[in-house]
Amino acid sequence: MFISIDNVCFSYSNTKTAALDQFSMTIEKGEVISILGPSGSGKSTVLRLLAGLEKPEDGSFNIQETVIFNEKKFLQPEKRGIGMVFQDYALFPHMTVAENIMFGLFRFKKAAKQERLQEVLELVELEGFADRYPYQLSGGQQQRVAIARAIAPKPHLILLDEPFSNLDAELQGKIRKELRDILKKADITSVFVTHDENDAHAIADRIVKLKDGKIEVIGRPCDILNINRQAVVEAVALVEQRDMMSV
Amino acid sequence: MQRSLKNINVWTFSAVAIMALLFLPNLTIVGGIFTPTNDNWAHMKEHVLWSFVSTSLILVVATAVLTISIGLSLAWLIAQYQFPLRNFLKWALILPLSIPPFIGAYTYHGIVNYTGVIQTTLRDRFGMEVNPSHFDIMNLPGAIFIYTIFLYPYVYTITRIFLSQQSASLIETSRVLGKGPWGTFFRVVVPISRVSIIGGASLVVLEVLNDYGVVKYYGIQTFTTAIFQTWFGLGDIETSIKLAASLMGFVILVLMIEKLLRGRRQYSYSTTKVRPLPLIQLTGWKAAGATGFGLVIMSLGFFIPVIQLIDWTILTFGTIPMAEFMSYVRNSVTVAGIAATVIIAFALIVGNFGRLVHGKMAKLLPRLSILGYSIPGAVIAVAVVTAFIGLDRSLAPLYQALGFDTTLVLSVSLIMLISAYIIRFFAIGYNSIESGYDKIGTNFRDASRLLGMGITKTFFKVDVPMLKGAIISGFIIVFIDILKEIPLTLILRPFNFDTLSTKVFQYASDEKIMEASQASLLIIGISALSIIVFYKFIEKEPK
Ligand SMILES: Nc1ncnc2c1ncn2[C@@H]1O[C@H](COP(=O)(O)OP(=O)(O)OP(=O)(O)O)[C@@H](O)[C@H]1O
Ligand SMILES: [Mg+2]
Repeated sequence: MFISIDNVCFSYSNTKTAALDQFSMTIEKGEVISILGPSGSGKSTVLRLLAGLEKPEDGSFNIQETVIFNEKKFLQPEKRGIGMVFQDYALFPHMTVAENIMFGLFRFKKAAKQERLQEVLELVELEGFADRYPYQLSGGQQQRVAIARAIAPKPHLILLDEPFSNLDAELQGKIRKELRDILKKADITSVFVTHDENDAHAIADRIVKLKDGKIEVIGRPCDILNINRQAVVEAVALVEQRDMMSV
Repeated sequence: MQRSLKNINVWTFSAVAIMALLFLPNLTIVGGIFTPTNDNWAHMKEHVLWSFVSTSLILVVATAVLTISIGLSLAWLIAQYQFPLRNFLKWALILPLSIPPFIGAYTYHGIVNYTGVIQTTLRDRFGMEVNPSHFDIMNLPGAIFIYTIFLYPYVYTITRIFLSQQSASLIETSRVLGKGPWGTFFRVVVPISRVSIIGGASLVVLEVLNDYGVVKYYGIQTFTTAIFQTWFGLGDIETSIKLAASLMGFVILVLMIEKLLRGRRQYSYSTTKVRPLPLIQLTGWKAAGATGFGLVIMSLGFFIPVIQLIDWTILTFGTIPMAEFMSYVRNSVTVAGIAATVIIAFALIVGNFGRLVHGKMAKLLPRLSILGYSIPGAVIAVAVVTAFIGLDRSLAPLYQALGFDTTLVLSVSLIMLISAYIIRFFAIGYNSIESGYDKIGTNFRDASRLLGMGITKTFFKVDVPMLKGAIISGFIIVFIDILKEIPLTLILRPFNFDTLSTKVFQYASDEKIMEASQASLLIIGISALSIIVFYKFIEKEPK
């Protein structure tokens, strides 16, 4: 088992209800996990907790043998080795594409830095764009830079918050496939948030469905699809029953 | 983990220390309320305190009413109508803000007094010997005129920017529902812009309560002048602390009234894209009236005094040795530069603390220091001197050990003056920096930390470069405010240390009005330039 998350509970300081309630799951190395759920269900909260941007009230989180947090310990975000792609990408506007990508490579030697830069640029197919500033890129290119920046330091885990929401429908389809290829090629474990079933089914190895801060279901896309189908069948049956009664 | 925790603690510690430094001196004022009273205070309370209160009330209320009338009507004219010179007036109407009321006060006195341009023209050209008392401006109505004509831009700018962000449909709905222009003005425009009107007016009121130059020069007794009089005239610092505390009470009352009037309602559509108001073309006498009104106000508030000052400068140019003049410029720039730099650095630290730490204290502390700007300079002067003398007293053994032959070291140094500036103007710098932090949000910081950078490295590599605009504009506003400042500089400067503004004050007080003009023009020039640059910058900014 690569990553284990146990019983994580959390509520925002100015609220009473739990934003996340007893969240537990395990993730294998190289797996692509999708968190699916309606707005306000706590999807972003999961990512913020894993990244270290919020402090959990309870629970633990380990990557391999390393404790990321438990009752006693809380590792600051910069010490976790977790990458994140923000919904609005958060590319530093005062740095070029190359500078953005190399921002997290400060521990690398100079030559290794350049090498890694070329590597990830190639991976996201943006070789000619190193010296551009973020505002000189299209939305899809910006997103690929954000992904490149997040994976450049070779994190154990990469988190993506609604990676497709800022893109138009056509681009979404294209990038969806690209993203899966990039993640699989780099053999990176990843968790991404979406509220679009199609995204989840197209990319994820497994899907976590959230509702009101609780896990509703975890499983492979095909299994979840079946659950849905069953629900539909049951619903149709119910309606038919009611129609029969009213007749 | 250890290191990062330590980082957060360093930020917390610095922020709390800064806030304490900014806030604690003012507590001496609160402490002063509880010291036993003496004869001076008893005498004052019995005979003159009420007259300070009523004079200040008259000044405040009259100025507020007049600045609102002028500021709001100009804002509405510019926001809704097209008339000749509108685009010029739109920004030119801000310019009176670049003339410190005190400079305006002595300039107008110079224009209308016996040897001034109006009376001499009447005498020489028309042979009219007029009653000089008709031209006396050095009284309460005169002071109200000065405050109004140089401070109305606060109401005008804030309201105009607000109105320009309002949706056309709001106004048009009112028109469609059958309200004429006047009905629309009073039933729609005034209510929706209430918050900005009150915001602008309360800035005006705070400026009036803070003012020392105008009332001192015109010989009007207010809290501010009384504080300095009991302090220097009577050498009675206890009574001046008590007066300062009463003035603070007055200011707190103003702030409470502001809060009450503002209410909870915030009408604002400023974040969404709205269709701006289409301008209505005025014609005939209406257009002439609008242009005329704008020109009269702008001439009274800018052109007339500036032309007079230019005239005086030409007449007296060379009487002040250039080297001496340049030394005032250097002094002004040095103290304003140092204070503004420290303020911005402090604001960056406190602002970052506000984002790092969640919780009540992190939100409350900066709020408290913002109060600093509403505390009048006279009160801060009393507080800072009291604090520094206390500090010197407790450091006396150290001075002795170091072999100084005096016990007053800090309280006669520039450090005291600069500290007072920092306390008084911190809020202005902080506002700019805080809105900068708000604009960039926390995502960039989080992204940087997730890429392995600690809080402090993130601050220098990500936050500071991204805050460049806020840092520059914050620095400029603070710098100019310090350049124009009078009471603190006058009282807290070291012996023989003169700045442009203290020199203007001295010349004017010695009835050397003409000699004061050169330094005045320089202050006005620098302020006007940065005001124009600044508002062009705000206008351009995509909302
Ligand atoms: N900073 C905050 N302070 C207080 N409550 C918050 C905060 N952020 C989120 N919440 C609340 O926590 C719950 C979960 O929010 P979260 O952002 O995780 O939802 P989400 O599933 O990402 O929704 P969306 O799809 O709209 O992004 C919501 O009820 C939300 O209102
Ligand atoms: Mg979300």
